[in-house]
Amino acid sequence: MSKLLEIEQFSLHFPGRGALLSDVSLHVDDGEAVALVGESGSGKSLTTRAALGLFPEFSRLSGSVKVRGLDTTSAPAAKLLELRRNHASMIFQDPRAGINPVRTVGDFLTETLVRWRGLSREEAYARAVTQLDQVGLRRTKDLMRQYPHQLSGGMLQRVMIAGALLDSPELLLCDEPTTALDVTTQAGIVELLREQQQARGMGMLFITHDLNLAASLCDRVYVLRKGEVVEHGGAREVFMSPHADYTRQLVGATPRIEIDKVPAAPAADGTVPLLAVKRLCKRYELPSGEELTALNDATFSLAPGGSLGVVGESGSGKSTLARMIVALETADEGELAINGRVRAPRPLRAAERKLLAKDVQIVFQDPYLSLDPRIVVGKAVADVFRLHQGQGRAEAVKSAEKLLERVGIGPERFDSKPRALSGGQRQRVAIAKALAARPKLLVLDEATSALDVSVQAQVLELVEELREQLGLTLLFVTHDLAVVSRLCAELLVLQHGEIVEQGSTAKILSAPANAYTRMLIDSRPRALWEEQLA
Amino acid sequence: MTLTGTIPLLRTRSYGSLLSGTGWFAAVVTLVVVLLSVLAPVLAPYDPDFVDLSSVLGGPSGAHWLGTDALGRDLFSRLMYGGRTSLMGPLIVVAASTVLGMLLGLATGWTDGWMSRILNRIFDLLFAFPALLLSMLAIAIFGKGLMAPILAMTISYVPYVARLTQQLVVAERARPYVQAYRVLGFRTPWVVLGRVMPNLVPTIGAQSTLNFGYVLADLAALSFIGLGIQPPTSDWGAMIEEARGALLGGHVLPGLLPALVVVLIVVSINVIGEELSDRIGGKLS
Repeated sequence: MSKLLEIEQFSLHFPGRGALLSDVSLHVDDGEAVALVGESGSGKSLTTRAALGLFPEFSRLSGSVKVRGLDTTSAPAAKLLELRRNHASMIFQDPRAGINPVRTVGDFLTETLVRWRGLSREEAYARAVTQLDQVGLRRTKDLMRQYPHQLSGGMLQRVMIAGALLDSPELLLCDEPTTALDVTTQAGIVELLREQQQARGMGMLFITHDLNLAASLCDRVYVLRKGEVVEHGGAREVFMSPHADYTRQLVGATPRIEIDKVPAAPAADGTVPLLAVKRLCKRYELPSGEELTALNDATFSLAPGGSLGVVGESGSGKSTLARMIVALETADEGELAINGRVRAPRPLRAAERKLLAKDVQIVFQDPYLSLDPRIVVGKAVADVFRLHQGQGRAEAVKSAEKLLERVGIGPERFDSKPRALSGGQRQRVAIAKALAARPKLLVLDEATSALDVSVQAQVLELVEELREQLGLTLLFVTHDLAVVSRLCAELLVLQHGEIVEQGSTAKILSAPANAYTRMLIDSRPRALWEEQLA
Repeated sequence: MTLTGTIPLLRTRSYGSLLSGTGWFAAVVTLVVVLLSVLAPVLAPYDPDFVDLSSVLGGPSGAHWLGTDALGRDLFSRLMYGGRTSLMGPLIVVAASTVLGMLLGLATGWTDGWMSRILNRIFDLLFAFPALLLSMLAIAIFGKGLMAPILAMTISYVPYVARLTQQLVVAERARPYVQAYRVLGFRTPWVVLGRVMPNLVPTIGAQSTLNFGYVLADLAALSFIGLGIQPPTSDWGAMIEEARGALLGGHVLPGLLPALVVVLIVVSINVIGEELSDRIGGKLS
């Protein structure tokens, strides 16, 4: 039998953008799990889609992409259809984008079976239910009648996997299937994929930007950079002794929990805490009339110069907490004091807000949305200097340029609109904008989680430097324990709006007292070889 | 080498041009019509109101390129002068309704107070009245002429602009960059008028371009039924009305020409408006 997936010297040129892939060669054998690792724009998705014969319009191809001997670059449409139906399936990053929102899970799963496989509705139904059982979902008969919006992201991704497995594919293509999910959910999905892949002897091509994840699932790895394979080999060899500079850099940038590198908390000397939160509560009314407690009875404090990590999964209330601290939300109960000033329990007046701005600033998660698209970065920062430092136009521009250079934005970028900047550069500008108000406390709301690992490492380094030089106090909201271990002396774990554990980061990470904290730590992907050792 | 099929993965965007070929053609047509109207006093070969009973209903000739009407007035000159009144009306309506609608939309979109709620109900009420009906009502009260319909049209187009602005503002208000302005302590009026509004102008401008076409057609219709511009002032709608007698006598041009110009300009402006709102709307979302 011919090879399952064999890509040879495959290049893809796109008019105006040049070569998006050049001379990519890789193969996946039956029963093998292979990872394709790279950062955004490296061509991972293009490569995978090529295996299904999906190419961007107007692109020029050379080389070959063969699935079971069928070259998808030249195969007729009918053959490609046959390939997609019988040999290969794909799982996408965002399950919600890949499913019709107005049809039930049952419709989604049985449609192709009835249409293409000639099964009767009853047979198709039975097959679908069995498949849902297999991917670890419960109450499957009810599930068949439910709509996508009624399911959580993790459940929906399991449904998508079930859908992909229904065709009994020989090749499973996974395009970052867990990136949109929480760590504990991710752990479950990865476990399921590994189990199914081994039980069925499928070949799997797993795309990810997360080296840890690749190592936890795959035997062999290809590292892709700017459309070129820079390194490939056994997962362990590639990660333990990388040859290519880029791989080395990638491995170095991948965050790890390093307990001995956790920063120290400032000595407790009885000064007034910079941030003091007492029995803080926030509730939302859902459209159904029910009440959702986003944050319940939160009490903690943060000393000047300290650094606190707030971790939890989506829906844990960590962003609500961050937004309350910067007064984008008003607390329902409890007390919040910054710099000794107790916050009034109502939306702030303009003057109060301006005063608060000098105490606390925030950097948001999405660097693509957190800057005004129309304002050039030099002006964006200068505006803040004019408002808060009372500087004139010329002086503010000078201060802004100095600060921008300080955060690593060169003079050639001062007149750029955000559109022209990369994600990392935008986040640097966002940090500069926040710092221009000279706050004492900087809140980072998942500020690096939308960035590539290497960029994330650079931004984290910048934050670390700024903290030391400016004596900033940090509150870092994140889902990533490794990021916390690097930046935060203290840690606060949130689950369903409750603080389940708080204390010194080093202590919690090495000996978690709470079961949920332990689960968070254990859910982090661990390399296959580490598991075999353990 | 293989050329590929049709599954677009990379978004193919045309960066340089804001309009398609058709769009540019429409723009040129609009520009020519506008220029001819604006420059009428300089370019027009005759006084548009000069009655010459010796050349009544003459066909196109060297002296009168497009012929003359029932009173022997030069049609080409009347069309050029007619453009001045026919385009001025919609221009005033669109400018006034855009400014007013945008400000009201910003105010009602940004706050959720009782003022917003009352304004919203008033908008709902106005949506129920066709602009043409409202104009006739205004004419009944204030009398014939240009002012009453312009006022009525402005009032009835304000809700459209306001609703659009409102939707955009509500979406914009939740964006992190706007929240960052709040956290930075910038005052709300500065943020709303100085930073958010300019980001909405392209989208609203595209909608207003579309409105221009509708208003022009409506005002021409009012003149046609004799409620708008009064003779002898030249106006496209009024010209069609005046040509009714000639039409019965078998003379097509005096009525057909102004009608064609109205169709031409409305279609052109709609094409431009549609394309602009497609491109700009797509870019924002």
